[in-house]
Amino acid sequence: MKAEYFFVLVIAFAVPFIKSLSRELDFYKYPLRLFFALAPPFAVFIIWDVFAASRGHWSFNEKYISGLKVISLPVEEILFFLVIPFCALFTWEVVKYFMRKN
Amino acid sequence: MKEYTLLSIVSVLLAIALDFALKTKLFFSKKFWIFWAVMFVLIFIVNGYLTWRPIVIYGESFYSGIRIFTIPVEDFLFGFSLITFNITLWEYFTNKMKEKEHIVN
Repeated sequence: MKAEYFFVLVIAFAVPFIKSLSRELDFYKYPLRLFFALAPPFAVFIIWDVFAASRGHWSFNEKYISGLKVISLPVEEILFFLVIPFCALFTWEVVKYFMRKN
Repeated sequence: MKEYTLLSIVSVLLAIALDFALKTKLFFSKKFWIFWAVMFVLIFIVNGYLTWRPIVIYGESFYSGIRIFTIPVEDFLFGFSLITFNITLWEYFTNKMKEKEHIVN
């Protein structure tokens, strides 16, 4: 199914995004820090990915991607570098939250 | 050394260097490693699915050939460095913005 890679991202993103809105966690307390934490690694890893894909380090199975491309990468792969870091930052705040509580 | 292997090791070294440069001291903190214990499981599920299908296909001549389940070991270094960059920057700016708050108050 063409949407499969996209669905993997949606499933990964859904719970962290909804829970990130929780008042108790205060995830958006400093909105700029989210941008600064995501943007530089995003840029660097996109460059890495473009290089790696062009060299043949890896490729994407046409069966499971939409076919939409942005700077030679599947749009899903571009989203990966925002979705997964977002989920990780959320998880990091959750770990900190529980360590404060205990 | 294979190209992906080399790049993924360099990326982890840069992530360690950034933690030192920004004085976030994550590598010496307990919560960072607890976080990684949790993250490892989550990465295993997502990356495991992507490589098992496979949605992402690897050029056999560019990585070590060693896989854990279906995941090339280099992918763990790739993911570890990516997310450690994110967390390091997040902590750095959290500290910066907290300081600023204190100055304003």
